[in-house]
Amino acid sequence: MTVPQPTPEDLQARAEIDRSARYPVMFFFTSAAAWLLFATALGFLSSLKLRFPELWDGCALMGYGRLFPVHFNALVYGWAMQAGIGVMLWLMARLTRSRLQHPVALIVSGHVWNAGVALAVVAIWTGASRSIPLLDFPGWLWPVFAISYAMTVVWVVPMFHSRRNGLFYISELYLIGAAIWFPWIFLTANLLINKGSAPAMGAGTNAWYLSNLIYFWMAPVALAVAYYIIPKISGRAIYSYPLAQASFWILAVLAGWTGFARFMGGPFPAWMPGVSSAAAIFILVGIFATVVNLMLTLKGCSKLWEYSPSLRFTVMGMLMLAFYAVLSALSSTFAFGKNLQFSHFVAGLDALAIYGFFSMTMFGAFYFIVPRITGAEWPSGKRIRSHFWLSTYGIATLIGFTLVGGIAQGGDLAVWDRKFSVSTVNSLAYVAGRGIAWGLIVWSNLIFLHQLALMFLGKGRKSAGPTLIHAEPGVAASARAVADVP
Amino acid sequence: MNSNNFWKLLAALGLAFALPWLTLIVLPYVGQSQAAPIAYGEGEEVDGGLAVYPDRTLQSHGSSDYGRKIYAAEGCAYCHTQVVRPTYAGPDMWRPGWGGREEGGFARETRPQDYANEAYAPLGYQRIGPDLSNVGHRITTAEEMHRHLLDPKSLDPESAMPAYRHLYTPSPFGKGYEPTPKAIALVDYLLSLKKDQVLPASLSATN
Repeated sequence: MTVPQPTPEDLQARAEIDRSARYPVMFFFTSAAAWLLFATALGFLSSLKLRFPELWDGCALMGYGRLFPVHFNALVYGWAMQAGIGVMLWLMARLTRSRLQHPVALIVSGHVWNAGVALAVVAIWTGASRSIPLLDFPGWLWPVFAISYAMTVVWVVPMFHSRRNGLFYISELYLIGAAIWFPWIFLTANLLINKGSAPAMGAGTNAWYLSNLIYFWMAPVALAVAYYIIPKISGRAIYSYPLAQASFWILAVLAGWTGFARFMGGPFPAWMPGVSSAAAIFILVGIFATVVNLMLTLKGCSKLWEYSPSLRFTVMGMLMLAFYAVLSALSSTFAFGKNLQFSHFVAGLDALAIYGFFSMTMFGAFYFIVPRITGAEWPSGKRIRSHFWLSTYGIATLIGFTLVGGIAQGGDLAVWDRKFSVSTVNSLAYVAGRGIAWGLIVWSNLIFLHQLALMFLGKGRKSAGPTLIHAEPGVAASARAVADVP
Repeated sequence: MNSNNFWKLLAALGLAFALPWLTLIVLPYVGQSQAAPIAYGEGEEVDGGLAVYPDRTLQSHGSSDYGRKIYAAEGCAYCHTQVVRPTYAGPDMWRPGWGGREEGGFARETRPQDYANEAYAPLGYQRIGPDLSNVGHRITTAEEMHRHLLDPKSLDPESAMPAYRHLYTPSPFGKGYEPTPKAIALVDYLLSLKKDQVLPASLSATN
């Protein structure tokens, strides 16, 4: 089934929406990409420190216990959240056919968010960290994020409410869900943990926050992008709309129960990790339904993958979402999870979610959105290809090494009379893999930031045709034309 | 869009989230905040005549509140856990040197009340170094703990821990290092880590 062609009036309206979104969205995108380079560089340095512990000895700022949380927080709040917010604003405007209002207010709140990230980074790095994963920043800092998020994302709700056409897009559902769920989990986690009256439940709340951030914010935003870009590029309607709706509600009902499996055997009533494990397994139904639905939409036009950068990144992001869901379900079971718990796999799995599925999908969205709002095409298809493969190899190396290394490390620790340091020594090679992986990712993001900066400065290619991979720039009007897909 | 539908949708989205939010997070959190210490039963022999579990005086140690902050600031929890898991999840309770039960040791699985003196239980992220729930039993003197922080390889040549020399200043008398207040507080905190208080019979059915 193909979608009807847009009329000239439609195209005109779209161009106006894109123009209205240009400055705020580009602000979020470029600052996100700058934080991404910073965060991945620290990911590399922290892995290096882990492999060679005597490196930078005696330097307070270069300890793993500081480099890693700085990397982790900058990756999520600097890059992932800002990229997601930018995408959310543009996508909601386009879907509801409304212009993005209040660009100045959006840019101001974007600055507040960036100031928050910078303060968090400085605080953690200079020794004010609380060592609460992804809430490491001092307790007084969360309102900065909360206020900035509210000031930015609040505009999504009236856009959604005032939508003019009768049709109801699945992407809108995901966006509105993500918009209201994030403040809820963020406020809950911060208020309860800062209250500090139930220490063990504080740690449990943190585990719940980590997994909800992935399933209740990153997954919905990424899926909103996928449900938009895949039909858009292929020119087909989504394979099954009822299936898409059903899988949305499966995610919505189950995601809030996940998280405690991180601490199976920890100081919690046994039902809590148990219910989280069950949720992580059942959620596979929803994730598989979504990914299969999206892939079936592409049936018969998979050649588009060769040419369209947006499609390529988005599809890879969705495959990694399925992979992440499988690994997180497996590691929620006792048989598999008890040995992987606390191993390098934990760090690998979190990175697979944040970099593997979320960031890859966001790159797909960036490659789609930026040319439309800046009115220029990406400078080089070859560079996009390098960005894609270096990122893919990087994250595959990371998850491969941490999975095998985690099994080895966990296996050593599961033998009761084996000396502890055996696990450390045996996992050194896998730690080196962690460093190589982040090295590849840094390289890929140097390319990405360079390309994005050129676009930001108005140095993009000026031509009618889009920049495609494996095709001369500007020769074809679309990936569909060059792939000969009707 | 029909305004009625809009509110229905928001309600459904909220409800999907509210159920786990309430039952998995808020109610257990409130319950744990209000949990009263548990008294020992009739005739239970407890060293030192303790009256209740958790006994907060057992868990506090000198300037350990500052030490706990240093523990967090240095990110110790990214490599060290403070969880002793039950046997079905791992052999934490049996490992020699960890108060192993094989040696007739004191090790038992950690319970929520074992962290009663902390604002946040530093359960940890990864276990790159050994679990620290009972490190106060493994390293017993301040001198040894300082030596470990200054030069971890002196205790175990295979240790992957970096030296925390920035917590020390070179001694004015030429040789060695002097601990800063941060190092003293951190060592106080580490020495206080003993999650081994004997559980009241009413609680210890699983042990």
